[in-house]
Amino acid sequence: MLETIALQRMPGTCKEHDQVIPACCQECTLGCGLLAYVKDDRVVDIQGDPAHPVNRGRLCARGLAFVQGLTASERITLPGTRNRLSGPFEAFDNWEKGIDLLAERLRRIKEQHGPESLAIACDPEAGLDFFLGAQRFARLWGTPHVFHPSQEPPDENLPADRRHPDLHATDWLHSGCIFLVEADLAVTHPVVFNQVMEAQRRGAKIIAADTRFTTTLAKADRAVLIKPGRGNDLGLALMKILLAEPLSIQPQADAQAAANTQWAESYSGLDIDAVAAGIGLPTDRILELARMLDRHGPAVLITAKRLAFVPHYAIWPTLAQAMGWRQVRGGGWYPLESGAPRLDPTTDLESATDGTLQAFAEQGGSRGPTNPPGDGLKALIGSGDCLTDLPAPLQAIAPEMNLLVYFGSFPNSIRDMAHMVFPAAAWAERDGLIFNDDGAVLWSPRVVKPSDACRTGLGFWMRLAQHMGWEEHFPWKKANGLADQRAFYGWLFANNRDTADLSIEHIVEGRPLTFWRGADRQQVQGALMPAPAAPATHAEEKNDPAFPLHFQSTRVITRSGHAGRWWPWARELENEGAVQIHPLIAQALRIENGDPVLVAGQDHIMEGQAWVSRMVPPYLVWSPRRFKADRVLVYRRGQSPEQAREQLKAVI
Amino acid sequence: MTSSTGNTRMENNTLMIDVSRCIGCQACAVACKLEHALPPGPFPVRAIQVGPLETVSGLTTDYLPTTCAHCDRPACVPACPAGAMQKGEDGLVFSDTQVCIGCQTCAVACPFGHPHLNPATGKIAKCDGCRQRVAQGLWPACALVCPTGALSYGTRQRVVHQRRMNEAVRTSRRLTHLACPRS
Repeated sequence: MLETIALQRMPGTCKEHDQVIPACCQECTLGCGLLAYVKDDRVVDIQGDPAHPVNRGRLCARGLAFVQGLTASERITLPGTRNRLSGPFEAFDNWEKGIDLLAERLRRIKEQHGPESLAIACDPEAGLDFFLGAQRFARLWGTPHVFHPSQEPPDENLPADRRHPDLHATDWLHSGCIFLVEADLAVTHPVVFNQVMEAQRRGAKIIAADTRFTTTLAKADRAVLIKPGRGNDLGLALMKILLAEPLSIQPQADAQAAANTQWAESYSGLDIDAVAAGIGLPTDRILELARMLDRHGPAVLITAKRLAFVPHYAIWPTLAQAMGWRQVRGGGWYPLESGAPRLDPTTDLESATDGTLQAFAEQGGSRGPTNPPGDGLKALIGSGDCLTDLPAPLQAIAPEMNLLVYFGSFPNSIRDMAHMVFPAAAWAERDGLIFNDDGAVLWSPRVVKPSDACRTGLGFWMRLAQHMGWEEHFPWKKANGLADQRAFYGWLFANNRDTADLSIEHIVEGRPLTFWRGADRQQVQGALMPAPAAPATHAEEKNDPAFPLHFQSTRVITRSGHAGRWWPWARELENEGAVQIHPLIAQALRIENGDPVLVAGQDHIMEGQAWVSRMVPPYLVWSPRRFKADRVLVYRRGQSPEQAREQLKAVI
Repeated sequence: MTSSTGNTRMENNTLMIDVSRCIGCQACAVACKLEHALPPGPFPVRAIQVGPLETVSGLTTDYLPTTCAHCDRPACVPACPAGAMQKGEDGLVFSDTQVCIGCQTCAVACPFGHPHLNPATGKIAKCDGCRQRVAQGLWPACALVCPTGALSYGTRQRVVHQRRMNEAVRTSRRLTHLACPRS
């Protein structure tokens, strides 16, 4: 008998402190428990909470480094305004004066251009309450334009209530195979990646497909490099092969049998060679993957959020269902960052008669980023680093807005072009509610008092609503006049079907974990997605000789462009200006590691430092910074683009 | 698999590094900074990415957590002109910041380039094995935070035992898997 008791971890702090506050990290969507040791309202130490079921005392670099942001000298701590965009901000004596002026300016814009001239862009950094408050305010105001990066485009094969994980991350230990598609969990969610490695240790096979040779691929049993934007096509190809092969597909329920035959036949027409060519893999390789998945099932399919924004996303639940994995412990579909229910904060408001607002309500209170508004926008209220996530047409008109308001904690590109700023409390400075990837509902109390005049997202909307005369629609106020998050979420839960049976008191209490979806999650069944008529047409290869390389940007250890930029420790771990290029390309262009390089797209140019690495395949250029182009040319500073094109011709 | 086996006495604790579990997330590096209030610059512990390298079986990348080995015969100790660098009773090599003059001779002497200068204090910042924490019976900050368990801490006997058990479990799972593959 093997004795496998792990070494006993001895947690704790040796720092002098006067209180220990258990909270939840809100840097990503895992909701790791942490213990904040506080002395004189300053955090002196952060430790993972050993008793927390999500992380069992482990934390990642981001979950530790955030404390630096709380006291960073660059923090925006007072509301301000300015007349010239190049000038400095003039601080208001108090928040009320700032909101007064904002309300006045907004009213004037509404009178001149109508209510739909206002857009609100949200960012996870400002908290869930900012987004929910924005939706409520927008409904009262009469604008449908509320944006959030997590809004997924509608898909007839995948209704919004079918986009949640089938299982919990702890169930991965029972999987025979873990298939990660464009999900670099080791970098974006290191704590939960431990579950993947633990499952591997217990015999599960790890297959990882991504556009770069990421850390996750390095740890996988089978690593597959695919072309950018082709993740879902890989799912289509696997489905086609698995249907054609005499494998272990489970028979479906009788009632669905007739429809399923028709569904299965739809895949017979799929041109596998064309799809495989698009993905950049030989058909044999996909066949091998399909066999591996079948042989080692039940498999859990872990898919990245970005796959939701390319066509055929519904292939993943279809694949899990057709293979019968959804009914087995450890099997199913696990879409990342999809653990939150659809919450409508406007259920008590009168139903809108206006056509646009009706559509707004049907889509769950917001227009997806795939459906940007036209040029009628005159005012934008934005939080966090929302500008990089906005739809491109909106980004282009943002600088010309009559009024641009920034609600955030740190200076960034939106602050640079803002007319007014309002300081936001960081997550450790406010009570907050988190829906984690598994669907657990977590409560995180305030750890320290916010600096100066920082307010919560709900507090911002509450004050603005007061000035508009809508006080009765934002009644969640504490005795001291600040927003009462607990009362707000209690009201919200009671007014939404998915959360009606949740008790906010129970959630605030904490353990055991509360999940907003019950134990029937394994029974999830949906319509199977038929094979699309022409899967490869959505992103036809445009072989533009002027821009011969693909470009991609993904998240790294610190969230590029967000608060992480203000954490000196995290910042020095990686170079935000890095531009990753393959040694072959570097050699052809005579670029060495660290050389200043330019990345040129159709309309933009970005400067950076070369990071010569085999992490990218020769056809791909990668950077942690966002850049608005899919196809680019890269060259050394001092080199002409034409010269670079000539040199690249020889290797591509 | 490496183990920083600096301690000469069997009952002393040691930091075990399981390279196969490291994912280069740098949580250890940041935890160390928080624990010792270090500014940007010095890294007493840090994971180094090696690769991707092209091999016969495709690309491979390794992540190597690197920290002071607390050597049995440390080169940095006799090199220190101020007598700040010492090897304690517990086997840990540390620099007494009260005495350190920031000359960095220890950094030159160390074959692994380990001691760094703390630019904020002008003194040497190096891994002291979290002496203060360990004295209170706590794990060092880096091992405690590690999300994947690549770093662990215990008596030398216990960590070696743990490593053997892990390997045995891994092998037995594979054998079971080979003997009765899923259909």
